[in-house]
Amino acid sequence: MRLRIHAHHAAFLSAVYFLLGLAGVANTATPAPTDPKSHWAFQPPGPVALPAVQNTNWPRTALDRFILARLEAVGAEPAPAADPRTLVRRMTLDMTGLPPTPEEVDRFVEDCRRARSIELSPPLLNRGQPLPESAISDLIERLLARPAYGERWGRHWLDIARYSDTKGYVYAREERRFVHSPTYRDWVIRAFNEDLPYDRFLLLQMAADQMADPDSPDLAAMGFLTGGRRFIGVTHDIIDDRIDVVTRGTMALTVQCARCHDHKYDPIPIQDYYSLYGVFHGCDDKLTPLSEINDAELAKRRQILDEAMSKHREEAAQRLRQRVGEYLTAQLELEKYPEEGFDQILSADDIIPASVRRWRDFLHTSASRDSVQSILGPWLAVAALSESEFAASGAATLASALRSPGIHPWILRAFTSAPPPKSMREVSERYGRIFTEAETQPETPETAVLRAFLRDPDSPTVVPETGIINNEAFFPTSVTESLWKLQGDVDRRLIELGVPAALIVADRQPGPNPRVFKRGSPSRLGESVPRQFLGILAGPERKPFEHGSGRLELARAIAHPNNPLTARVMVNRLWQHHFGVGLVRTASDFGLRAEPPTHPELLDWLALRFMSEGWSIKAMHRLILASAVYQQSSRPFSPAPAPPATARPDTIAHTTPLIQAKSRSPVRPPGPPAPYASFPVRRLDFEQLRDSMLFVSGELDPAVGGRSADLLDGGNRRRSVYGFVDRQFLPGVLRTFDFANPDIHVAVRYETTVPQQALYFLNGSFAAQRAKALAAATDSLAAPERIRRLYSLLFQRTPTERDVATGLRFLADVAADPPPAPPPVRETPWRYGTGEYDSTRHQLKSFVALPYFSGESWQGAANWPGGATGWAQLTAEGGHPGNTLAHGCIRRWVAPIDAVVRITGSLHHEPEPGDGVRAFIVSSRQGELKSANIHHAEVDMGLNDMSVKAGETIDFIVDIGGTLNSDQFKWAPKITSAEQAWDARKDFTGPKPEPTYLAPWEQYVQVLLLSNEFAFLD
Amino acid sequence: MNRSPLYPPTRREFLKRCGMGLGALSLGGMLAQAESPLGIRASHFAPKARRVIHFFLNGGPSHVDTFDPKPALAKYAGQSLPSENLRTERKTGVAFPTPFQFQRYGRSGLEISELFARTAAHADDIAVIRSMHALVPNHEPSLMLMNCGDSVQARPSVGSWVLYGLGTENQNLPGFVAMCPGGMPIKDSENWQAGFLPGVFQGTFVDPQHREVEKLIENIRSPHATLSMQRRQLDLLRQLNADHERQRGSDPRLEARIESFELAFRMQLEATDAFDLRREPAHIREMYGDHVHGRQTLIARRLLERGVRFVQLWHGAGQPWDHHENIEASLRKNAGEIDGPIAALMTDLKQRGMFEDTLILWGGEFGRTPSVELGEGGKSKLGRDHNHYGFSVWLAGGGIQGGQAYGATDDFGFRAVEKKASVHDLHATMLHCLGFDHERLTYRHAGRDFRLTDVSGEVLRPLVS
Repeated sequence: MRLRIHAHHAAFLSAVYFLLGLAGVANTATPAPTDPKSHWAFQPPGPVALPAVQNTNWPRTALDRFILARLEAVGAEPAPAADPRTLVRRMTLDMTGLPPTPEEVDRFVEDCRRARSIELSPPLLNRGQPLPESAISDLIERLLARPAYGERWGRHWLDIARYSDTKGYVYAREERRFVHSPTYRDWVIRAFNEDLPYDRFLLLQMAADQMADPDSPDLAAMGFLTGGRRFIGVTHDIIDDRIDVVTRGTMALTVQCARCHDHKYDPIPIQDYYSLYGVFHGCDDKLTPLSEINDAELAKRRQILDEAMSKHREEAAQRLRQRVGEYLTAQLELEKYPEEGFDQILSADDIIPASVRRWRDFLHTSASRDSVQSILGPWLAVAALSESEFAASGAATLASALRSPGIHPWILRAFTSAPPPKSMREVSERYGRIFTEAETQPETPETAVLRAFLRDPDSPTVVPETGIINNEAFFPTSVTESLWKLQGDVDRRLIELGVPAALIVADRQPGPNPRVFKRGSPSRLGESVPRQFLGILAGPERKPFEHGSGRLELARAIAHPNNPLTARVMVNRLWQHHFGVGLVRTASDFGLRAEPPTHPELLDWLALRFMSEGWSIKAMHRLILASAVYQQSSRPFSPAPAPPATARPDTIAHTTPLIQAKSRSPVRPPGPPAPYASFPVRRLDFEQLRDSMLFVSGELDPAVGGRSADLLDGGNRRRSVYGFVDRQFLPGVLRTFDFANPDIHVAVRYETTVPQQALYFLNGSFAAQRAKALAAATDSLAAPERIRRLYSLLFQRTPTERDVATGLRFLADVAADPPPAPPPVRETPWRYGTGEYDSTRHQLKSFVALPYFSGESWQGAANWPGGATGWAQLTAEGGHPGNTLAHGCIRRWVAPIDAVVRITGSLHHEPEPGDGVRAFIVSSRQGELKSANIHHAEVDMGLNDMSVKAGETIDFIVDIGGTLNSDQFKWAPKITSAEQAWDARKDFTGPKPEPTYLAPWEQYVQVLLLSNEFAFLD
Repeated sequence: MNRSPLYPPTRREFLKRCGMGLGALSLGGMLAQAESPLGIRASHFAPKARRVIHFFLNGGPSHVDTFDPKPALAKYAGQSLPSENLRTERKTGVAFPTPFQFQRYGRSGLEISELFARTAAHADDIAVIRSMHALVPNHEPSLMLMNCGDSVQARPSVGSWVLYGLGTENQNLPGFVAMCPGGMPIKDSENWQAGFLPGVFQGTFVDPQHREVEKLIENIRSPHATLSMQRRQLDLLRQLNADHERQRGSDPRLEARIESFELAFRMQLEATDAFDLRREPAHIREMYGDHVHGRQTLIARRLLERGVRFVQLWHGAGQPWDHHENIEASLRKNAGEIDGPIAALMTDLKQRGMFEDTLILWGGEFGRTPSVELGEGGKSKLGRDHNHYGFSVWLAGGGIQGGQAYGATDDFGFRAVEKKASVHDLHATMLHCLGFDHERLTYRHAGRDFRLTDVSGEVLRPLVS
């Protein structure tokens, strides 16, 4: 019951108005299957017969028959075809995210006209006749050939891939930006533009490391896996994110739900989750530059990093070699050690939990190797005993194990020349002593074997050479911090240089099979499971993956034509972006609780067609764009009024099915139109709106690819897809506009309408700047012509007479009512600057105003400390002197009137380090009034009544005194006369720019940019 | 157009969807009154609290120095505790008794330390939960657990859930405001994230160090038009949009966008007013104190008064309550900064008749160890390490039975032992005060119905009955 109701109401996301009536048609018909295996989405898409339709004229492609059959079944009528201007606007915005230019519109209209071979006046083109196929297919090809296509459709995929340019929350030691994200983004865009077959598109994103050359640009594809949040390095969470992006992204399966227990609804047991966990756990992340870099600075930073890393790895390994006994003992009480991700050691002397686990895995996987048996065989034999078993038969078990061939003589000696060990701990301790001795004794063949054992790259006494991103847990905090800092230096240089780089995952030596974490907790290990594909899809023949981590095999199983989900999921996504809603509305959940498809046969037909066309995404676009359902008007068919009898007869009229259809059509009850009975009106998303505004104002920078830049920076005029996406500090504006949450795989964006969106366009500088540019670009035209030009640029149509009149009236009204003069800027008596005070002559030698206001403080440059004055800074409360005595900071008060004033306030120098500061109050007329040397103390800087003359300056000067060290201070003097008060803190302000009001035409253009006609798509 | 739908049918669909999640709600009634995702919605049952203010002492306030007196610690001062110290983030050593005096307050005799002496004047309204516990001794996951009910996954914050459940009473202000002086706490905006809920439910961050309203709320004033110029522009916009809609037939999505510009216009006035403390009488400003914590608490009251649903007040950027060393002086300073404002707020809410339906939450992401933290070479740092095994938070106001301490930690305050309360229990209790059955306030995402309390949580009945 619950499921059924849900099916009615769930598609709130950006579900489209016209689908409201849909629920009653299909959704209730399919009850949830009792046997999960029989769920529709797990069945292969079957060959589908094209449904029969009555109106055989309407369909332009086979897919139209599926739509029409359903419409006819409910007695609904498709809408007339859209007119050419509407269609070219729709297709261009849909395919490229940008509106067409007036020239492109004219060309398409002209192509339609020419293809008709008869003269058609514009009204006739509006009459709802289908437009000529040749003109449309030419337009489709032109659109698909534009780089803007990949920029638009690549962004749709980036929503799926939870694209971000930052790692999320990180400790301050590490660079928070990704090096590789722009390269991945550009790879996705290029893949769409080049129509990379979708199966290969997926394979590369999951396993390019095993398919492409070591220097192939396709390695960038792996950003799909590695672009997720870093979860401050907690492996389980990183893997969880990767499992989610892969399974929901490609197959619309919510495998993530099985992390703690079997999936509640879908046939995904917890074991399957950990089978995939094992695939992703067997890999290290590896940053791979994709082009030659000859940069001395980078080489230098890398060398520093490499040297530090080698040194610390060796130091850690040395400690590991000395403490084998303790690590063996630790194997007996694994539960004492914190889990992965919360196991940073504080001191170098601590047992390294990561090494404890490395020992555990090593003992598990390598126990059978001869080289291991000969040394650890006896230990392994007794370690298998329980405490009581050890007490009973430990000695015997040990003795028997020591009799195995090839046991290292030192081991034999340690256990035969002394009384048998009383506990497992003692066994481990003896092992520890053997290795310690081997390290200190001179080299002999016997010690060589032991030493080689300790230095084998696979040995748990070695710290893996996999970079700080993978091996940070082996070092104490201070070392980890220093290595991350050096890695950050390298990363920052790579980002600065804009080097294309891939963050790939590379398989490690396969470890033991993954174990289930009971209730998702890594400290509660359950059964061991093979690395293998999901049971529900692999079927009874399922075999464990055989090669390495199994990641390539996993990718192949996903991108396989026999996978019932992959093709369906992608055609559904394409459909959704063309029509606003998918055939399955829960686009990333095809599980048992998902919405059944509204047109199941169409979904299957499209999926099969997709694969038979070689997984070509562009082929799917061609098919959908060429369809009658896509080319419909957004205004539904209405049976009345009848067409005017005066309609010009022409040769096409009798082939137009609509007129005949009309008489057949029963009168539908009032209510929302049937689904697909008209094209859904679409609202432009944030990127379409922003890019369109830049485009129509002629300012859009068409540069392709490269570094990401702040979208809200006024100077950034590139397409939004190249915007810097910061998952940790996603600007409020982007959230407000329902931009894809870069933490969660987003299949369907929300579509909300809130006043903050309006405020952004109304008050923010973005729309105002575009309005100015567009007004300037059309400046040379006379008023009515200028309005016509604006309408054709913005709306792809000619304004009506009423439109022109409305515009002219507005302009006249604005002109008749000029804006008030901006309120006079209240002259502030305070100035902020730096200068040198000569304390022996009691003279201020100079005063130079601080040039930059940060919003909080006056300072030398945008970055503080910065500029010529270094640390010099003045805030409302106090400040900091400049780096030398030449740059004392000066808060200056210019007396506005003749008055008798009193100065109050104290100077507070808080910090203990350093030698404090010097402070002076100096009048331009009366000389030095007061001075103080102060360190880690507070001193009253008040002055009693004194007279000042208008224009006289009183300077409050602070300099560093002796040395530049911890010189920040608090000092906000207050000056009071009998009538007035000037308070340094309350009066503190930045430069007050005069408001510059938009000119009349700019105001008009801004309104056009804010209009619904601009923001919606018919 | 006297009742133009502010939001499109997608919104209605959304609400129907909410209806599914909210379960027992009357679908029809809800649809009639709420067309905006932020429109007012009824809860499952009559709520005691209509709004929430959360004082977040980020970093982890020490419970044994504030609301959980442990005289037994004094007996062991300088000696090892009789039981082994629990494993926390760092090494800790001997027992470290509180340097602060505890005293009984009010008729209830609730014991509170001198650090919160002014707040303690309201002791009979305060219910301390002394048996809180979390999962790990690390800030990041514990912040996420306390704010979003999950240590790891991107989940909606408590404020987002409340906004989703109840909407907001003032469309001209953000419904959920998070204030933090001087910048962001650890984990930044993840603390007030909307997770998988629509972005409108996310907390709006405000740095109360700013005094100018332009800096408090983005784009709240136009630098390029006066209000009267803007009015004329909006009149033109309205006319163009009306012409546009006339040719297309009524579409609520078009109307929603038209209305959003009118709302924006009004918001410019309302928001300016709400954040402008000059409009408060001097004695009120003095009661809260003219410093950033006083100001942000007073702004919070003005917001709550104007219908904002959820306000979270952070102590400061980073984690000011993370007292690993020299805890005595730091605690005195931090508590001194907020004790007055909290007491003032409680007094002020009472005198305005808002106390009974405002839920107050005080707490951090965990507490601190009763044993002293050790530095290099085992030297005492005179501070305390993180402690997730046991800590205190307190609730007051809407629906809370004050003057009681619920649950208890062991003799030394290390571990919650009596009537243990999880973070889910706390959330369940808060939702209860707001009129929700926490098991029925759900949202369908990625294949299942999620709730704030995941799969557990019990309402702490003695606090609310």
